[in-house]
Amino acid sequence: MTTLYKTFRRALTTKDGALLGSIFSPENPDRGTFAFSTNHERIRGDVEYEISGLTPLRDENTRAAWIDTLVCYWKIAYILERDDGADVSWAKAYEGQKDLLLVMVRGYTKGNWPHWTLPVMYQICLSLRTVAILSDDQARRLGKASEHLEDAARYINKAFTLCISDRAPIEESRKWGTYYIVNLMFKTYFKLNSVGLAKNILRVLPASLADMPPLEAFPKSHIVTFKYYCGVVSFLEEDYGNAQAHLTYALNHCKADSIRNKELILTYLIPTTMLTKHKLPTLELLSRFPRLATLFNPVCKTIKSGNLQAFDAALRHGEEEFVKRRIYLTLERTKDIAMRNLFRKVVLYQNEESRTKIPVRQFQIAMGLEADGDTVMRSTPERVEVEIEEVECLLANMIYKGLMKGYISRERQTVVLSGKEPFPGTVV
Amino acid sequence: MSSSSKPSKTTDPKDSAADKPKEPQKQALSLEEDDEFEDFPVEDWKESETDVQNPPGGRLWEESWDDDDTTEDFSTQLREELKKNPAK
Repeated sequence: MTTLYKTFRRALTTKDGALLGSIFSPENPDRGTFAFSTNHERIRGDVEYEISGLTPLRDENTRAAWIDTLVCYWKIAYILERDDGADVSWAKAYEGQKDLLLVMVRGYTKGNWPHWTLPVMYQICLSLRTVAILSDDQARRLGKASEHLEDAARYINKAFTLCISDRAPIEESRKWGTYYIVNLMFKTYFKLNSVGLAKNILRVLPASLADMPPLEAFPKSHIVTFKYYCGVVSFLEEDYGNAQAHLTYALNHCKADSIRNKELILTYLIPTTMLTKHKLPTLELLSRFPRLATLFNPVCKTIKSGNLQAFDAALRHGEEEFVKRRIYLTLERTKDIAMRNLFRKVVLYQNEESRTKIPVRQFQIAMGLEADGDTVMRSTPERVEVEIEEVECLLANMIYKGLMKGYISRERQTVVLSGKEPFPGTVV
Repeated sequence: MSSSSKPSKTTDPKDSAADKPKEPQKQALSLEEDDEFEDFPVEDWKESETDVQNPPGGRLWEESWDDDDTTEDFSTQLREELKKNPAK
């Protein structure tokens, strides 16, 4: 008996969902022998024979759905392992994966597959997506249209419906699969660069969540991934408050040794926190993630020093990477904090007695100070002269945004600062 | 996930970003494969296996703006420039 059937029989008898799902994993090592175990004429008969006599398959519909599923899977195995030697047609494999998914949907709707078999759904959806990506890559290389991933998204959506529409009591409901499938949809939409569709899920989801168990009841891998994508979607919508909440949750519940995932969470959490809380990541934090240090250190350093010229240079220098990570616009806005810090220094560097009334000219000098000496970037060493009106306008803006407390006396060209906490939250 | 689906395109930010940040064809906004949240090796883990229970040293966020180095070039220059035009 081929190993795959043995695994199938054991998983079904012991109700081992993960083992059952592993049969349909793209990494199943038994796929090769399975593919070579029979031929197209005999596969159905073989499957019927190999899985006969199993108590969990007494129900005729359940059994029929499993036979279809294994036959479908064999056809994919054949394409991947035997067809045309090395030159796999991923488009053909994709069609096979799609059939497999439809048979799987029937398994749940007509074949009474119980909720513990959810890993089967996961693996079939995951494989569909993987094969769609490979097929699209192949199509692009051949100069053909690549539309399989987009198509795959629609099919994964069927699995989503299977999960949220299950009316069974919660303890045996497919609702437990919701977040896993939603995460797969998020990943797919991001890969397709359709953030709009990702937002759509978040619009649809709350209605389905009404009778769902709380987040904490789900496996952490489902929830952390879900929160990460919710966070990124909020971030891209410039809803930084929610981004902060989602990403913090993801970070706090992430598996400690999943460095790459923590790095991804922080890629968005750091700019968010800079903007909402006016806080920079500590050097200790960045030193634990070299990639993040490369990404953020130059900008953070200039924000801290208040060196506006160097801030612009650091932003320009990292532009391509920032744009790619979609954090450019957010980082650009943190210039306010750099400016606040610069103005704060202007105040701190005055004599004690003249700290509440400061000529606008002093701020003008600070704003025009050249980047010389600051080691971040030397590409713009020239002194930038800023018009006094512009300085006033920026000061007014700082005051308006609550980053500074005081007013501008235009007749005297002086900034009159609040005696108490002129720079709220900075201990000055 | 099968590693075969990942193009060997872990672009080194250093050599691509260094010279011409505004090359138009590089503006493709598609998230690179290496930007995708990775599948966790296990489905679930305990609270004790997260950073919250065992903070790996130090705070995440700077609490103050005052630990900056006032001997740093920019601050020194700023101080000097401001002195040349004192606020009476």
